[in-house]
Amino acid sequence: MKNLAVSVSPHIAQKSKTTRSIMLDVIIALTPALVMAVVYFGYHVVINAAVCMGSCFAFELLYTLAIKKDFSRKAVKESSCWDCSCLVTGLILALNLPRVIVVKSWDLNVYGTMPDVGGINRADYVLFGGDTVILCIIASLVAIALVKMLFGGIGKNFANPAATARVFLFLAFSSSFVATNTTGLGSLLSASSGATWLSGDKLTNGENLFLNLLTGNRGAAAVGETCMIALLLGYLYLSIKKIIDFRIPLIIIGSAAVMALLFDGVANGLTGGRLFENMLAHVMSGGLVFGAVFMATDYSTSPNTFWGSALFAFGIALFTMLIRCFGGYPEGMSFAILVMNVTVPLIDKFIVPRPFGYSKPAKAKGGEKA
Amino acid sequence: MNTFPHGIHPPANKERSAQVPVSELPAPNIVRISLSQHLGKEALPVVAAGDYVKAGQKIGEADGLISAAVFSSVSGKVLAVEKRATVNGHANHVCIENDGKYEEITLPPLKDPKPEEIISRIAECGIVGMGGAGFPVAVKLNPREKIDSFIINAAECEPYLTCDYRIMLEYPREFLLGAQYMARSLGLSRFYIGIEDNKSDAVEILENAAKEAKIDVSIILCHTKYPQGAEKQLIYAVTKRKVRVGKLPSSVGVIVDNVHTAFSVYAAVEKGVPSYKRVLTVSGGGVKHPANFWVRTGTDIGEVLNACGGIDENAVKLIVGGPMMGFAQSDENATVTKTTSGILLLTAEEAAGEEASSCINCASCVKACPMRLMPVYIDGCILSGDVAGAEKYGAMNCIECGSCAYVCPAHRPLVQSIRLAKKKIREKGSVK
Repeated sequence: MKNLAVSVSPHIAQKSKTTRSIMLDVIIALTPALVMAVVYFGYHVVINAAVCMGSCFAFELLYTLAIKKDFSRKAVKESSCWDCSCLVTGLILALNLPRVIVVKSWDLNVYGTMPDVGGINRADYVLFGGDTVILCIIASLVAIALVKMLFGGIGKNFANPAATARVFLFLAFSSSFVATNTTGLGSLLSASSGATWLSGDKLTNGENLFLNLLTGNRGAAAVGETCMIALLLGYLYLSIKKIIDFRIPLIIIGSAAVMALLFDGVANGLTGGRLFENMLAHVMSGGLVFGAVFMATDYSTSPNTFWGSALFAFGIALFTMLIRCFGGYPEGMSFAILVMNVTVPLIDKFIVPRPFGYSKPAKAKGGEKA
Repeated sequence: MNTFPHGIHPPANKERSAQVPVSELPAPNIVRISLSQHLGKEALPVVAAGDYVKAGQKIGEADGLISAAVFSSVSGKVLAVEKRATVNGHANHVCIENDGKYEEITLPPLKDPKPEEIISRIAECGIVGMGGAGFPVAVKLNPREKIDSFIINAAECEPYLTCDYRIMLEYPREFLLGAQYMARSLGLSRFYIGIEDNKSDAVEILENAAKEAKIDVSIILCHTKYPQGAEKQLIYAVTKRKVRVGKLPSSVGVIVDNVHTAFSVYAAVEKGVPSYKRVLTVSGGGVKHPANFWVRTGTDIGEVLNACGGIDENAVKLIVGGPMMGFAQSDENATVTKTTSGILLLTAEEAAGEEASSCINCASCVKACPMRLMPVYIDGCILSGDVAGAEKYGAMNCIECGSCAYVCPAHRPLVQSIRLAKKKIREKGSVK
C-alpha cells in the first residue's frame, strides 16, 4: 500500500498566494514608477535600484547565514532572503532616494563637463555617482540588518525598513540632502513663475501644474514619487490583486487633502481656485501618494484590522501635513510613517474585532435582530 | 445576495462528480459497522457473534440521551463485535458476513404523523445529522426554546462534495417531504432552504417539486462562499439573526439540519427504513472515475475506492469528509458511517503541504475568519504558551472551518494552533 500523508484539516490551501508571490506582485506594482523614474532621472536610477536591491538581498542572506553559523549550500537555500521581501525593500529604498547624492567630503563621483553657470547644482553633471552607490549600500545595511533582521526578520520589524533607511540617510548626511529634500515643486514653480513652493507666496501659477504633477514632469526629492499615473497603476494593481486594502491609501490621501485645505490653504488666506490648486499640489507632490500606496500598506508595520489601519492611515496624513505646514522640513511622509509605525502595537492591542455574535457578558439573551 | 461577513473562495472542484448520477454500490462480503457513528456516547451492541441479522435490524442501542441507535446494513451472520479504528478514533464495530440477500426489516409507515410521532420515529431510526457532525436529530428537534424558523442547510460549501446536490436533483420530492416532516415536528408549517448560488439548477427543480407537492418552502439563495454552510453563518445569511457567542441556534429560534438528513427522515417516516445507507461523493484528482454512490454503512473505504478505479499513483492524501474539515486517513480500512459525506483522494497539486514560514502580518486570516477572530494573535499566544491570551482573543469561538490556514500565504497552520489553544483552555478550565 502506498504512503498517504496524514494531517489535520484543512487539507487544501491557497497556493497561488505565497509570501514570495505577494512580494513579486509589489515589485510588479512598483515597475511603472521605476520606469518613469528612469525616464525623468536617467540611468542613475537603474544603478541605484540595482545596488539597493542587490545589497539588501546580500545583507539578508549574509545575516541569516551568520546567525546560523552555517555557510553550506543548504543554509543558503533555506535563507529567508528567497521570499524576495528584501528586494521590495531595496526597490522602495532606491525609489525613495534622489538620483544622485553628492557627499562633499568624499566626492567619489565621476563628472562630465560642467558649464560655467553659477548656481547650478553639481549633481546635474555627475556621470557616475560613487557617493550615491556607497550611500545606497549603507542604507540597505540599515534597512535590512538593523531594522528588519535584528528584530526577527520578515513580519517582526516594527518600523518600515525603507523609510527608516531614508530618514537615516537624510539625518546622517543632511548637508548633502538639503537641496533635495523637498516636495519637488520648488524648481517647477520657480521655473514657471519665479516663486518657490516652499517659501513666499505659496502657489502663484496653476498653469499646467496639474498635468505636470500627473505625469511627474518635475524635480523631486525622491525619484519614484513623481509620476502620479505610474503610482496609480501600481495602486490599481495591488488593489485588484487584493495585496493591499484599497481603502487605506484613499484614507491617507483624502485626509491629507482636507488637512492641506485647512492647515495651508485656509490658514494662508487662499480662496477659490487657488485653494483647490494648493490642495492638489500638496496631495500630488512629495512622497504622499508613493508612501500611501507602498509604504503605509506594508504588512509588518501596519495594523491588522481595518479600523486599526484606518486610524494608522489618518495618523500618517496628520503627521505629514503637520510637518509640511508647521514643521521645519518641507516633506514629512517618511517621518510620519515612522511615527505611526511605533503606534501600531498599541493600535493592535486596543482595536480587536468582537467575535461574530459577541454580546456583553451581562446580557447574554439571544434573539436580537442584527 | 444573502451571506455572512468574511469567508474564503476555494475552488469548488465540484464539476468532477456533479453530473454523475447516484448509483447503488453493492455491499462487500463483510461489513464492519461502527457503533459510534454519531456525536455522543457510543451505542451498546445488542447482537453477539453467531446471530443472524437482517438489513434494518437494530444492532446497537442508544446509550443515554445524546446517542443514536445503529442498524445493520445487510442481512447475514454476525461474525464478531470488535474494537477497530474509525476515521478519527476507535469504537466497537459489529462485523457481519453479507449473505447477499439483503433481506430487510422495516417499520410500519406513518400516515399523517403528529410531531411527537415524527420525533420518536426519528429516534427509533437512529437518524443523526448527516452533514458530518452526527448530532442525534431527535434531540435537536426537541429544543427548550420556541422555534420559529427551520432551515435546511443545502449550502454544501465544502469543495468537491456533491452528495447533497445530487439528492436535491434526483429526489427533490422525497427531500422536501422529509424537510416538511422535520418542520412539522417543530410545529412549523413552512421552512427555509439555504443554498449557494452555484446550485441554481437545483433551485428550479426544488421549486417545481414544492409546487407539485404543495410544500410551503422559501428557498434562499446565498453567495457561494466558504463556510456558507457553517451553522451560525447560514443562520445569519438566511434570517439575519446572530447566534450569540457560546449559544445554540435554538436560542434565536432557529434549527438547522442538512439535506441528506431530511431525506433520511422521509425514508424513516414514509417507508419505515432506518438509517443504514447514504449517498456519498468519491472525488479528487487521485480518483479515476469520480462518482456519487448509495453506500451501505460498514463498507470499507477501500471497497468504495476500488469501485472508482482504486487509488491512483498520484494520490498523496486520502480524506474522509470534505477537504476543509474532513479527516485524513493513513489507510483505507476505516468504514463508511452515517456521517461520511465524501471520500477524496487528493494529488500533491491539490493537497496542502507547503512548509510553514514566518508570519508576515498580512492579516489575510483576519479578513478570512467568519467568526471575526484574529487567528494570527491566537497562534502567537499559544506558541508562546500564553493560554490566557489565546482565550482573551476568543479562541473558544473558533468553528474550526480552516479558512485562516487556507488563505495564509506563509502556510502557517493557524486553525491547528487554535485547536491546540482550545484544548489547552479546556484543560486549564478543568483544573480550576
